[in-house]
Amino acid sequence: MAVYVIKRIVVSIMTLLLIMCITFLLMNAIPGSPFLTEKSTPEMIERANAKYGLDKPLYVQLFNYVKNYARGDLGTSLKMQEGTSVSTILFGQGKFELSIKLGVISLLLAVIVGIPLGCIAAYNRGKWIDGFLRVMTTVGVAVPTFVLAGLLLIGFAVNLHWLPTKSNSLPDFKSYVMPVISLSFYYTCYVAKLTRTSMLDAINQDYIRTARAKGVKTRMLILKHALRNSLIPVITYLGPVMAGIITGSFVVESTFSIPGLGKYFVQSVLNRDYPVIMATTVILSALVIFMNLVVDIAYKIVDPRITLTGKED
Amino acid sequence: MSGKFAKFSPFHVDPELIEGTFSLQPEDFDRADEDEKAAMEQKRKSVSYWRDAWRRFRSNTVSMVALGVFIACLLFAFAGPALIPYDYADQYRSSQKLGPFEYSEGEAVARSIAGSVDGFYATALQPGSLTSLAKGDYVIYHGGKTYAFTLDRAMENAILMLQTKAEDPLFIVSESKIQQDGSWSDSKAISYTDTPADGAVEIKLSRNVFPHAFGTDSFGRDLMARTMYGTRVSIIIGIMAALIVLIIGATYGAISGLSGGAVDFVMMRIVELIYSIPEVLVVLLLQVVLKDPLRAWFDSSNSALVQSLSALGAGIISIFITFALLYWVTMARIVRGQVLQLKQQEYVTAATALGAGNGRIIRRHLLPNCVGSVVITTCLQIPSAIFLESFLSFLGLGVSAPMASLGSLCSDALETITLYPYRLLLPSIVLTIVILSLNLIGDGLRDSLDPRLKK
Repeated sequence: MAVYVIKRIVVSIMTLLLIMCITFLLMNAIPGSPFLTEKSTPEMIERANAKYGLDKPLYVQLFNYVKNYARGDLGTSLKMQEGTSVSTILFGQGKFELSIKLGVISLLLAVIVGIPLGCIAAYNRGKWIDGFLRVMTTVGVAVPTFVLAGLLLIGFAVNLHWLPTKSNSLPDFKSYVMPVISLSFYYTCYVAKLTRTSMLDAINQDYIRTARAKGVKTRMLILKHALRNSLIPVITYLGPVMAGIITGSFVVESTFSIPGLGKYFVQSVLNRDYPVIMATTVILSALVIFMNLVVDIAYKIVDPRITLTGKED
Repeated sequence: MSGKFAKFSPFHVDPELIEGTFSLQPEDFDRADEDEKAAMEQKRKSVSYWRDAWRRFRSNTVSMVALGVFIACLLFAFAGPALIPYDYADQYRSSQKLGPFEYSEGEAVARSIAGSVDGFYATALQPGSLTSLAKGDYVIYHGGKTYAFTLDRAMENAILMLQTKAEDPLFIVSESKIQQDGSWSDSKAISYTDTPADGAVEIKLSRNVFPHAFGTDSFGRDLMARTMYGTRVSIIIGIMAALIVLIIGATYGAISGLSGGAVDFVMMRIVELIYSIPEVLVVLLLQVVLKDPLRAWFDSSNSALVQSLSALGAGIISIFITFALLYWVTMARIVRGQVLQLKQQEYVTAATALGAGNGRIIRRHLLPNCVGSVVITTCLQIPSAIFLESFLSFLGLGVSAPMASLGSLCSDALETITLYPYRLLLPSIVLTIVILSLNLIGDGLRDSLDPRLKK
């Protein structure tokens, strides 16, 4: 186990380095200089390039990034807030925490609501509640995040005035409701669908019949015997969910005017603020890679039959 | 079998019984007569894979309804624009910010006066002022009066009012000067005839005004036309992206699966790497990186291919490139898995033993057996491409104005959501319906093409 985790961490760091290389190459593939504006003279661009080390050869620049990142230094912004350190831009005023808070709450909601819904549907297979949940989840996975966010906004904020149109920095419970629902609804539905399918699979297995024959109560049967075995596909799905929730939060943040991380990524790309692009990409990639690692370890806990050291496929 | 010793065997078997079961007589090698041939003929045509799948698909009510809905969406997107008189890019200045089924002042006047006139020619008294009237004009005749008005950009807010008799002069009235009862003030006279004269302009007639069923946006663009166009763009993007994924993913997966060994190992490590890259981040970067070089490329080249690509716009092309670079991995994995499984089947071994080459094995045995899962994956790729495109357009990185996609329409609508919620609602509903129907069709295909997977 420990060997496996260490191996995975090494691979993760290598993946992260590779992502840095790709991001760096892509950034530099944009023609022209980030300092190019209508007013700028060639001398001004040259001076700015020299100031931020953009005149050095590309491999030196890349090496500097890696070296500074290893020391925890994310560099300074070139354009958005010139001269400010990137970590202030991203982590200052709790922006990072906002995004993470939103993401984690949505992820938890998707799991806490999605799995029971799937169980209920599977247990009541063919009854009206199964039909209802089926329609709900099928429609749910067809509604893009921004559509749902917009619909909620129209319904609950514009027409009914129950909830605020702008969530800002999520000061109270009310401001959480719409962003969290719109961010997690798709994943809740997907998790419910997955749970239902794998639960039905599990319910038809021999050991469930045996347990039932031995007189295990239905509730225990579902919770202990069937659920545990049907969780594997759900856990597999949670890795991509993390990636999806992070990128989905860009949309939710812009819809509900939440000053989170997402806005800065899009802005930094549009502004060609290299250090900010690099920092957001690396942070978000690291999160996703970390989640994948957690998912792989969670496998082992849920299903002891899975050997982590064995070859995949 | 029944040699000469058999007769003495205590286990003697009656040769009559053996005959016809496993002993061959010389007459067995005679040519078959017509009756025997007829007996071998199949009574019923064998059901092909596709026919069988279609039968299963047809019996699935949900999928059939979804197919119907999707065909309706296709008609809405591709045939719809031909049926309505508005264009997605044209700005009708007098009809900005209209709600669904609302009419601009001029249109309302026209609607209030039912009737028709056969057509006439008008000559401007002030040269030039009326020549632009030819396009998109409306003339309504009622109760001895003919009302004509234009929606043309050059003649904005102008409304023509005609007298019945040909000798009477024609008036141009500013829209704002029209009174509620149909009278007007402050007009300029022009003449008209019912025969064409030099410099005369034929005025198109229309009995009633086509409604802005989805309303108009702040620039006076008809939102129904834009939604139709946006649906078309979104569906085209979805299908094209799915095809790109199909070609690249299936080829890559097939090569990897067939080659096996070191080649397979390296190819699959590349797939895993692409998997672990958070795709949307790269997509965003690619979008920005590709936009300018693509524009330059479109401007520099004159070849027909490049021109047709440039008609799609840089945003859409970069979405395609993104799909080509990142999104084929799922398809590659599925095809590789299938190929790995299939190439160990007995019939492949048999074909190899009979001397079939690699090409024949791929064509005859592997491809037909993979086709089910490939079709399913391709079909489900379309909605996910539409999802991604709408997401990018929502962030302002997809198609650029005046082009529209369902995502960009939603994105535009969000700015004015408190005032005009229907602007978000209508394209959202269309987008959801398209994705939903495609998802359901994909599920139906899975059930009918690959019954083993049915849950």
